[in-house]
Amino acid sequence: MSKLERLLNLTAVLLDTARPLSAEQIRAKVHGYPPAGSAFHRAFERDKDDLRVLGIPLLVERVPATDPPQDGYRINADEYYLPDPALEPDELASLHLASIAVRVDGLADEEALWKLGGQDDVVNGEPLVASLPSNPILVPIFQAITNKRQLSFVYGDQKRQVDPWRLDFRRGRWYLSGFDHSRQAERSFRLDRVDGDVEMTGSVENEPTPSPGKASDRKGWELGESETIDVQLRVDKDLVETVSHQLGENKQRSEQPNPDGSVTFTVPVSNREAFRSFALGFLEHVEVVEPPEMRNDMIDWLTRFKENK
Amino acid sequence: MSRITAPDRLRRVLAIVPWIVANPGHSVVDVAARFGLTEKALLDDLAVVYMVGLPPYSPDALVEVVIDEDGCVSIDLAEFFSRPLKLTPGQGLALLAASDAFLSVPGVEEDGSLARALTKLGATLGVVNSENRSTLDVQLGDVEERVLVVLKEATADCTDVVLDYYSFGRDSMSTRRVSPWRVFSDSGAWYVHGWCNKAQGERVFRLDRIASIEPTSDRSEHQPSDEGTSTSIFHPRPDDPRIRLRLSSSVAWVVEAYPCETVEHLENGDVEVSMVITAEAWLFRLLLRLGPDCEILDASSLGDVSTGVAAAASKILDRYSV
Repeated sequence: MSKLERLLNLTAVLLDTARPLSAEQIRAKVHGYPPAGSAFHRAFERDKDDLRVLGIPLLVERVPATDPPQDGYRINADEYYLPDPALEPDELASLHLASIAVRVDGLADEEALWKLGGQDDVVNGEPLVASLPSNPILVPIFQAITNKRQLSFVYGDQKRQVDPWRLDFRRGRWYLSGFDHSRQAERSFRLDRVDGDVEMTGSVENEPTPSPGKASDRKGWELGESETIDVQLRVDKDLVETVSHQLGENKQRSEQPNPDGSVTFTVPVSNREAFRSFALGFLEHVEVVEPPEMRNDMIDWLTRFKENK
Repeated sequence: MSRITAPDRLRRVLAIVPWIVANPGHSVVDVAARFGLTEKALLDDLAVVYMVGLPPYSPDALVEVVIDEDGCVSIDLAEFFSRPLKLTPGQGLALLAASDAFLSVPGVEEDGSLARALTKLGATLGVVNSENRSTLDVQLGDVEERVLVVLKEATADCTDVVLDYYSFGRDSMSTRRVSPWRVFSDSGAWYVHGWCNKAQGERVFRLDRIASIEPTSDRSEHQPSDEGTSTSIFHPRPDDPRIRLRLSSSVAWVVEAYPCETVEHLENGDVEVSMVITAEAWLFRLLLRLGPDCEILDASSLGDVSTGVAAAASKILDRYSV
């Protein structure tokens, strides 16, 4: 008898039983095990490991009415079966296409698509367009979010207790946002700055509050303590699209370009240093027009370099 | 065929059997193709499934696999395998992240089949919070749809494109004819890798610095080299000049934003870094942005840096008519 056959019989028996079965009962019921003794125990231990690696929810419970108490095993059927997402053939094909085009390092595998029903047609995949970096704590965090479990981890030398709300991938990095109990406020955390492992603790206490924007989406010049001012930035024709993208969602673009083809953007700024730094990234191809205080600040800043020579 | 372990075959069988149970009467050939298997591999698996069942393993307790004379397969008496095993958290995450990322690519239909699949899958996996918003969001980077579409078509057709490109490092705009090989997203930005006629070599261009792009009908003369799939964006050479800087903690973001060869954290929060400089214009601009928060420790392999920075500052001041 093949090992595959024994594993299938074991899975079937453990799914079928409502009461936990002892190792001895399993040996007697499932075809393909060696006689009682150390050979059986080795085989049974390996089989349990194999089932767990596949993600099969194998429960260990006390066999009823045993004294001394005896370990028994069964598979939790509620946790085993994938609810049917009822995907139409074109939807399944799209998932295929997407999973060929975008990979998460170390997580891509075809088994997920098998479980959803394979593929109707051979998909002439797009070539890989992006591979997202993984991180040892990425899957545990995702699991905590879906299971609504609180997380504790060390970040910035401090222990944090966080109700995890969402995972975002922005500018090449993974962020977790959620309610930070030590700060009593919503916070974002960069996964690559979390020190060590994350630990799942109790259930989450706070549900996400509707927020106007995600912290990880905000631009540096929008993350300031000072009063928000509208800054006008004039951008040369050739760089209009590039700068427009980088200014994000909260800018306004002048309806008409200027006669030389340049375009003026109005940008809400609450961190002036950050905006000056951004504008300097485009050298003489952009110009801070208004308000005078920002314009003068730029001139003073540059004049120092000229004189420091 | 490489040797495949029993647990790997178990993964496969636990996914395929439920599909056949729910969809009886498809040919063995079609089922094998659907799961990316050879016909023989599928028949081998089914031959094992045929022996599986519950005690006492009497015929009425064994799984019934029937392959009829037309080669069509059906499975009965396998209630315990009527649905596949749940996705593992890693599988769910990979599939949702890939779909969400792909959906953010311009040109992919926003309410098409992928969006519908994502909604269904998200609901099944519990990736929706109380506000009914997804708890996972992946953005590959901003890109103009037309630039992406022109490049993808040219890549597929092996034709050249002509682009006006702003080189950030050199602060110069130029027109180039490029044979694009591959379009990809990395670290939150989109790139195209290909042959640049102007440079007469392989180059990687950032899509958001393409000011304008035009397709041509000219076939590309340059095909990807063996390393043509290399996607490394920054290629320093051993003889490129280096600079050593001391950054105060308020501008330590430089370490994250740019490649540094060495990084040393000092006790007071300052950071000492050494960087490869492939374009002086890039360095001058960085120094202009950092101002007094950055001190040059060693620039001996470069020219007169402070004169260069002063010249860059003058040029900007000219624009402000000062």
